[in-house]
Amino acid sequence: MFKKIKRNIKIFLLFTNQSLKTTTQSRQAVFIFTLAKILRFIFLFGLIFLIFSKTNNISGWSLNQIIILYLTFNLIDTFSQVLYREVYRFRPLVVSGNLDLILVKPYHPFLKVLLGGVDLLDFLLLIPYSSLLIFFILKENVSFFSFSWYIALVFNGFITTTAFHIFVLALGLLTTEVDNAIMIYRDILNLGRFPIEIYQEIISFIFTFIIPIGVMITFPVKALFNLLSFKNIIFSFLISFLLLLLSIKFWQIGLKKYQSAGG
Amino acid sequence: MNKYFSVFILTLKEYFAYRLNFLIWRLRVVIAFLIPFFLWLTITKQIKTFEGYEEKSIISYFFFSHLLSYFILGTRTVDISNQIQNGEIINLILKPMSFFRYYFFRDLADKILNLLFSFFEIFIFFKVFFIPFPSTNFQFLPFFFIFLTLGLFLSFYLNLLISFLGFWSTETWAPRFIFFILISILSGSFFPLDVLPKNLFYLILATPFSYLFFIPVKMISEPKTLVNKVDVEFIFFIAIFWLIIIFFTTRLLWQKGLKSFSFWGR
Repeated sequence: MFKKIKRNIKIFLLFTNQSLKTTTQSRQAVFIFTLAKILRFIFLFGLIFLIFSKTNNISGWSLNQIIILYLTFNLIDTFSQVLYREVYRFRPLVVSGNLDLILVKPYHPFLKVLLGGVDLLDFLLLIPYSSLLIFFILKENVSFFSFSWYIALVFNGFITTTAFHIFVLALGLLTTEVDNAIMIYRDILNLGRFPIEIYQEIISFIFTFIIPIGVMITFPVKALFNLLSFKNIIFSFLISFLLLLLSIKFWQIGLKKYQSAGG
Repeated sequence: MNKYFSVFILTLKEYFAYRLNFLIWRLRVVIAFLIPFFLWLTITKQIKTFEGYEEKSIISYFFFSHLLSYFILGTRTVDISNQIQNGEIINLILKPMSFFRYYFFRDLADKILNLLFSFFEIFIFFKVFFIPFPSTNFQFLPFFFIFLTLGLFLSFYLNLLISFLGFWSTETWAPRFIFFILISILSGSFFPLDVLPKNLFYLILATPFSYLFFIPVKMISEPKTLVNKVDVEFIFFIAIFWLIIIFFTTRLLWQKGLKSFSFWGR
């Protein structure tokens, strides 16, 4: 078991190294992409301050709480982009039939199709995001207990985002519709940039209980400020676990239905 | 003119051939609309007025911005850089028609389809959430049409300009990405630009981005709040200035690009 994990880590690091080499081939593009992402981050950060120059809360959320929510969103979103970038390149593999070449390899296909294209540019952005997050959390008077729940729920958010990416891969096997599905996931995730309470009740309900964006992003921050009931904490863990199981099941169904084409 | 009309019809048919793609794209547009709309609706409900914007005026702003933004920004010119890279552009250049007009009519088909869908979506959206439909301000209607036309041409030439970078670099996605980010920040899709501090607002007015759809949207929704802050003649001349600059730069890049372009094997 330990030997297998060690071997998988070695393969993962090999893919990561290759991915880094590919990314740094075009330095101009690297610079422009990073600049654009930083610009977007600063702009939305500024927007929050602009709004709070006229009001002291949005749907009951204070300035610091909204900032922590926004940074938590960035942390979870960027984490998924760092690790799961290869999902965006899955469609050509299915369409060309080259996926066969991965499926016959003696390692789990997720190592390549899910984790095989680590984006180290986004990894660099994780450093300022997490530093700012720690800075703003330290400014608040939060207990160790609440902070522990926050960390646990952020990890839970990582599990949910993993499940969503596996769903997209499985959908790609069945319909080749990867590009649109992943972009819809990104658009829906963006709704979590602001508290889920700003949306009308029906939308909040959908994005809490059906597509649990609220559980991924809003719930950890609520737990940090002691605003989340124990029942909802348990619900968060259950729903992410269920989603992960379903996504793996969906992937297995996809593999059974997959017919190599083109290659 | 008939051949360009055929280009227009063929582009529409292309969309109907890939219906699912287009429908998913529209779903994405609706999801993206939810964030700024509900954020600003919540704020104006809570504090009644934000830099002159009340609940009614914010609804009006986002209603028209949803209708106009994709009408003005909708484009098919993103295909051009790929066509340059794979040599496909030769097929177009050799045809007895203007390349610019060809893409203008392709864009027009895209814009009209986007406008029709935007109407449909926003109508359903407002009905489902019991949001009152905003009234149209006809007082500045001539200005609305003038700025709408300027916005359309600005968007067309800006998009062409970015695509023509493909003549010199294989990395065209990166400049387009930063262009997209700048549009999302500076064109007023996330918030009405005039809620910004005065100096920052004037600074943005000096860029071409605010003329894409912020000004046309203001002219049809709440022109008075804008007219009280800036002179219409002034913004008209700035828009014309940018259009001339971008038009000639695009033409120059096209001519230089064609001279430096070479491809074989087709």
